[in-house]
Amino acid sequence: MANHDVAIRVENLSKRFRIPLDRSATLKHRLTHWRSAARYRTLEALLDVSFEVPAGQFVGIIGHNGSGKSTLLKILSRIYRPDAGMVTIEGKVSPFLELGVGFNPELTARENIFLSGAILGLGRGEIHQRLDEIIAFAELEQFVDHKLKNFSSGMEVRLAFSLAIQAHAEILMMDEVLAVGDAAFQQKCFDIFARYKREGRTVVLVTHELGAVTTYCDRALLLDHGRLVADGDTADVTGQYRRAIGLAADGSLAATEVERWGSRDVVLTGVRILDQRGVEDRNPPTGGFVRVELGYRILSDAVTDFVCVLWLMRADGLILSESALPVSQYARVGESQRGAGGTIRFDIAQLPLLDGAYSVDVEIQERRGTGVYDHLKHAINFRVIDRRERHGAIELGGTWSVVPTDQTAGSPEPFVSPQWVGPDERPGLSRL
Amino acid sequence: MFATADAGLAGAAGVATPPLNSFRHYRHLTLELAISQFKLRYTQSVLGYLWSLIKPAMIFAITYFIFVDLFKINDGTKFYGLQVLLGVVVWTFFAECTSSSMAAIASNGGLIRKAYFPRSILVIAASLSALFTFLINLVIVFVIAVALHQIDIGLRIVMVIPLLLELYLLAFGISLFLSALFVQFHDVSHLWEVLMQLLFYASGIMFSLTYVLQRLHLALEVGAKKPQTPHLVWIVQVMAANPIMQTIEDLRHALLTPVAPWTELVVSGHLAAVHQYAALNAAWEVPVPFLVVILAVTGGALTFRSRARSFAENL
Repeated sequence: MANHDVAIRVENLSKRFRIPLDRSATLKHRLTHWRSAARYRTLEALLDVSFEVPAGQFVGIIGHNGSGKSTLLKILSRIYRPDAGMVTIEGKVSPFLELGVGFNPELTARENIFLSGAILGLGRGEIHQRLDEIIAFAELEQFVDHKLKNFSSGMEVRLAFSLAIQAHAEILMMDEVLAVGDAAFQQKCFDIFARYKREGRTVVLVTHELGAVTTYCDRALLLDHGRLVADGDTADVTGQYRRAIGLAADGSLAATEVERWGSRDVVLTGVRILDQRGVEDRNPPTGGFVRVELGYRILSDAVTDFVCVLWLMRADGLILSESALPVSQYARVGESQRGAGGTIRFDIAQLPLLDGAYSVDVEIQERRGTGVYDHLKHAINFRVIDRRERHGAIELGGTWSVVPTDQTAGSPEPFVSPQWVGPDERPGLSRL
Repeated sequence: MFATADAGLAGAAGVATPPLNSFRHYRHLTLELAISQFKLRYTQSVLGYLWSLIKPAMIFAITYFIFVDLFKINDGTKFYGLQVLLGVVVWTFFAECTSSSMAAIASNGGLIRKAYFPRSILVIAASLSALFTFLINLVIVFVIAVALHQIDIGLRIVMVIPLLLELYLLAFGISLFLSALFVQFHDVSHLWEVLMQLLFYASGIMFSLTYVLQRLHLALEVGAKKPQTPHLVWIVQVMAANPIMQTIEDLRHALLTPVAPWTELVVSGHLAAVHQYAALNAAWEVPVPFLVVILAVTGGALTFRSRARSFAENL
């Protein structure tokens, strides 16, 4: 592969999405609303984007959520079709965007390796050859024949990653791979990035980790509302992005004075909503697993402990719930560690919210609740998707049952107020 | 394969990638998907794969009980029970293939949104996984036939291969059509359920076309008196146009007994002239089932192709 060749050429690329204003998912709706069929809101996801990536370059794409990063990556991977413009790709493209694509929880690790490997373009023979290597790298030797659903999320990510790096594509597209997993996993990712760089592969990386962009990428692209607003040196472009979104030099989130207050001895550096696989998902399903992840940084020597409180609100401002970090975990911060940071996770096993828009307020306060370090209103907004389209805000999770009156027992009344059932009687409603 | 048309859209919007041998490249993925779907279908059940045998056996038992024991229907042909069993096995394939393929696109949203491959692969895999089960069941029917009945095996048996191909193409074409529409309109699944009920009776699973003709007294002999129920002729004509009926009838002939005649001969009335068989005397209708299959495949492929490009966005 000659290094002067162009691997990816993007010319005047545009993509717009038509978002239906009313749900026309059923035939009935189409039939009864046929005259108003064209009620759409148009979203310009990409507008006249052009750039070239020489073979062997490591490119980072950054931008706020909804700026078109993932759309661009999906067009490059042929998942979406552009509305205008041309993309030319020279070389074999890896077909995966995220880790663990095609994994099925009901299959064993071994079966998943073969299935997901096939999606990555690996033949059966190739996988047989590398099976031991894949399993060893994922440190899952004892779990090869266990079903994936019994794996922890960490094990699943390790398996996905060790499989993904087997893809022998010349051009790799990666969407938020760093967002999953812990620090050790991120380190593994960085090792692989370093290897890809040595091997001269072309990599397009979409990420929010600006640090990774400056460390590993040769070049950064900044997207804003579908437009390519900056292209060039990673330090310059990430700097421009930091200024644009108001990320202060200390790495904390920016917000206007009204929405944010506190002494800033500890600051929130980020808020994300993740799904079961640790992938960012602003549209969690009702009943699904949701993890709210908060990044924090300690900026003062005076801090020894802190508490984190989270309020969940409906879009109209009604507070649905409040939750605080439990007492047993206060001490985690320990002694003063100025500059140290970390993440706080709040896991909801089964999201009890119905279809609608919600947001979260977050506060970091002193342990005794006397002072506020950092309070962020509307730290993150998200939209819950309920496939059953029920009304309301909360899933009660109750169970229904119908108990018919037993006619032979001679009771004509279908219902009377509860009566005491004598000890000699069978308990139950049959006597009523 | 229909999904390689991405490249070479000169002038228009598009994504051009180096050409690759898409069949070879994706054959492996198709098989891997089919195998895992086959495994998944019977996961978490105690009897596992045995269900694919028990299900048709149970449908057969019910059908046989109602039609033969209760209503004393018997078309008088040899091995009537075996013929019903064969019909049930073919029907089970058609029903399972179309209904499992219908959800193949909609239920793989995660895969479609995150990886590129020709979308038709998902439907091919789902239909192949139904075909595996069908072929095994067919072999079992044949073994039962050889073991318990003195069936007459002849050179006719080679016809089984084109007949199975015809049946598969029909099911696959319909599957493509249904799966593409199901992404946006879940209504098709309900509509299809009702249509299947109708098709079940129009496919001659528990009776042959000859039997229907006899019951309706359409034409018992050549040049005989007019059909007693001429207004019902259209029912038989619709049945004769149904490729499922035609393949079941022809499979019976090819696999089990020459006494069950080729559909073509019944429909055209050719046989009636020789053997006094009940016949439809409609030679024009002989190619209709094949045209239906061609229509299903082309219609399904065209519908799928025009909708496939927006699957990732609509899911």
